This record gives sequence, structure tokens and C-alpha cells, in this order.
Amino acid sequence: MTITFMQGILLALVAFICAVDKCWEAFYWFRPMVVAFFAGIALGDISLGVKCGAVAELSYLGLLTVGGTVPPDALMAGMMTMVIAYTTGQSAETALGLSLPFALLAQWYGIVCNSLFAFIAHRCDAAAEKADTKAFRKWTWSGVFIVAIGYAVMVFLCAYAAQSAIQAFVNTFPVWLVHGFEVAGNLLPAIGLGLLLMVTLKKQNAPYLFIGFIMATFLDMPNVLPIAIVGIALAAINFMYNKKIDDTAAKAVVYDGGEEDGI
Amino acid sequence: MASNKLLNGKERGKVTKKDIHKMGLYSVIEQSSFSFERMQACGFTESMIPTAKKIFKDSDEDMKEFMQYNMEFMNTEMHMATFLMGIIIAMEEAGEDRKLIEGIRNGLFGPFAGLGDAIFWFTLLPISAAICCSLAQSGSVLGPILYILIWFIAAISRIWFAEIGYVLGNKAVSSISSYSKYLTDAAGILGVTVVGGLIPSYVSFAFSDNLVYGIEGATVQSIFDNVLPNILPLAFVFFIFYLFKKKNANTIVMIIAIIIAGIILSFLGWM
Repeated sequence: MTITFMQGILLALVAFICAVDKCWEAFYWFRPMVVAFFAGIALGDISLGVKCGAVAELSYLGLLTVGGTVPPDALMAGMMTMVIAYTTGQSAETALGLSLPFALLAQWYGIVCNSLFAFIAHRCDAAAEKADTKAFRKWTWSGVFIVAIGYAVMVFLCAYAAQSAIQAFVNTFPVWLVHGFEVAGNLLPAIGLGLLLMVTLKKQNAPYLFIGFIMATFLDMPNVLPIAIVGIALAAINFMYNKKIDDTAAKAVVYDGGEEDGI
Repeated sequence: MASNKLLNGKERGKVTKKDIHKMGLYSVIEQSSFSFERMQACGFTESMIPTAKKIFKDSDEDMKEFMQYNMEFMNTEMHMATFLMGIIIAMEEAGEDRKLIEGIRNGLFGPFAGLGDAIFWFTLLPISAAICCSLAQSGSVLGPILYILIWFIAAISRIWFAEIGYVLGNKAVSSISSYSKYLTDAAGILGVTVVGGLIPSYVSFAFSDNLVYGIEGATVQSIFDNVLPNILPLAFVFFIFYLFKKKNANTIVMIIAIIIAGIILSFLGWM
């Protein structure tokens, strides 16, 4: 079946709403289960949407793989699995495999956004400098709308206007360019951590940085909780030691003072 | 030391339970404008601003300091972020030393992330998805509807996370105010230890395995790994820190430089 202009617009609207939640990861409307369900409502085939959602959702749990890989973008995979199953009449499983190039495209878009949104963080810094809460709100929300509009446009093009053209575009796209943004994305947190060190790192506490670093490098840990516990232990030692020194000093002062007063 | 006065000399405002609940609800936006550089800092700060206004009223100086320390790097699980917001607001309301609040914020977000992920990402998600998928595979709309319902409750549960954080923060405030001088140092130590632990997981700086040198064809990366694994991420963070501290580097220029460097390194096949 073909997708009409109105259905294309409806799918774009679904993509917009789900992409807002993709930014937040709050209501889980970005998961294939929900996206495909909504897409099914938009296309008037709810039962197919529900089935496509289940198949795509399972693949994201690592329970079902497509050619050995997990498709890269949950929202787009859910959406395009439904669209392809609806338009071609293929099974949900086959449609999930065919959705891969579109999900790749969405993943690239996400990586580029997350790199470039560093600029939004700096507009927020400028707003914080002036305690301008209105500008701060505007910039914080702007990232959400940029992502959501991007998804709406992508879905409209992929579903209605240019499905085969997009597929061709993805296949010929220079991978090194996207990988370059990935490399940059791996390096950019160094700026955030560097800024954090600007305010937290002092001569007295610099050695502790290396304790945390060596633990994280050589110990196999599921998260940083063990490091935090060591950090708390070290902080407690420091706390008790400093307090003891000050208490002893305070006692000495009182003793000296007492003697002078007595004479 | 804790003080009831704002920086403009006026009294601090109070927040009500309703304000805390509203903050919990608004904190669904915590991951807005996520960037690789500062991660969740923008949304984290924005979630607290309406509540912080009740405390600071018209004191722009306090609001500025509050926004600035919260705009530092932040990445945690979202429910735990709300929990942390509750603690921060309780301490701000009590007029606790901001250096101490900042230290607690920076020391706790990392470990909280692990805790939240364990609850929501590794437990609730697989269970809810498995149940709903089995319903949906037969085409039953009950699958997605139940899924939406479960995660709606999970999203709304932020209201309680905010409240628990606030109550805990309040309790802590009364017992810590007399030791705040020592605790500020202690919180700094915790923060720096955790940041040291975050470097290997957040910054990835490794040359491609295809980049070899010499006749034996050892990879360039293996040389660095033999000295100390993760030495490159550590060195890179210190390099950035040095540029900020000594050269007053412009952050925007550095971001552009890193993005361009990433694309060039990728084009050359070095990374």
C-alpha cells in the first residue's frame, strides 16, 4: 500500500512527539514498541503496528538480532519497520532488516546534534553569567525542538517523499565523515571534565584524582560506585585528621590563654 | 558556614512540598539539549530554576552562582538526577556553603548513575519489554498500552524521587552545618576521586588498530597501552585543563578544533 500525503504528515507528527521524548528518555515513547504502535494508528493498521513494535523492541533488548547487529536508532527503526511492512507487505522481521539504513541516518543525525549542542551549553553559560533565566530556558528547550524537527523531516522524507533516494544516499554517504563526528564525540567530554577540574582540582586534592583514575583503568567495575566508596573513605580519613589537628590546636590555645589569665 | 541571608542581604525564601513535587515533574526535561561536552548540564539546571527562584527571589547574584555551578559537567540516570536536585534544593534553602553543595553534586552524580541504571535500565526495561512484547507479538494492543502505562508511572515517580532527595538533604543539613568547613574539603576529595574514575569511561582517545609502525607492524596504540592503559584520555583531559588554566583558552574554539580534528583523524584512518 502507498502512503498518502496526509499519512506522511501524521507520521512526521508522531516522529516529532516521540523525538521530544527521545531527548528526555522520560516516557519511553521513543522505544520501537510505542513508535510503531503510534505509526500503526496513523496508517490505520494498528495490529500491524503492534507486531512491528514487538519485533523491533525485542531486537533492542538484544534478544533478536538482524544480521548480527542491533539496529542503531530505536525510534527510527520502530517507525521505518512499520512503514516498510505497511508499504511492501513484507513480514515485520524483514521490514526491521530493511529499516537499517534509515536507523543509521537517524543515528548520524543524533551524533552531529550532540556534538554541535556544545554551542547551546555555551549560550546557557552566557545566560547563567547574567542570571538570565528566560534566555536559559529558551536555549535549553531549543535543542529539544531541533532534534524533534529533524526527526519529523527525516520521517516525512523517508516515508512519503523519497524512500529510495534516502536509501541510496545512506549507501553512498562517506562513512569517515560520520565516524569523524563519533571520534570528536569521544573527545568532547574532555572539555566538560576539564571545566569541572577547573573548579574542583586543588593542589591538596590532586593526588586523589589518580586514585580514581587507576581504579577505573585496572579494575573491572560495572559503574563508578566502588570508586565513590573509596572516595568517601578517603574523604572521611581526611575529615577526621583535619578535625583532630584543629581540635588539638584549639586545646593548646585554650590552655595557653588560661595560664596567662591566671597570672 | 550556613547563613540565612542571601547575597543581597535579604532573607532566603522557603520552598513548599508542592514546589518540590512540581520540580520533580518538570525534571522530565532533564536531558534536554544533551551535548557531548557538558552532557545533561543544561536540562539539570533548568529543571531546578523555577524552584530556586522561590529561594533566591530577586537576588541575581545567588541565581548566577547557582546556575554556574550547576552548568558544570553532569551525567547521571534521570531519576537519580531528580533525587540529586532534591538534595541540592534542600541545601540551598538552608543556605549551606555553595562549595560544599557543589562538591556533593559533583561527587554523587557518577555513583548515582550506576544505581539508577541498575533499577530502570537493567531491571524494569527488560522485564516490562519482555512482558509487553509477548502480548504484542500476537497483535494485542494491550502490549503497547501496558508498556506506555508502566513507563508513565516510572516517569511520574520523579515526584517521589525529588521529595526523598529533599527530605534527605534537609536531614543532612541540620547535622552537617557545624562541620561544614571540613566537609567542604571532604566533598572536594570525593568529587576529584570520582572525576578521576570518570575519565576512562567518558573520554575515549585511542588510535585505530590499522595504524601501525615499524617492520613488525606493532599498532601505535599498543605502545601507549604498554606504558599505561588510558594514558591518552588522561593526558588529553590534562591538556585541556592546562589550556583553560594557563592559556585562558576559548571553549568554542576548542570545540570546533576537536570536531575538525576528529573528522581529519577519521579521514586519515588514524582513529
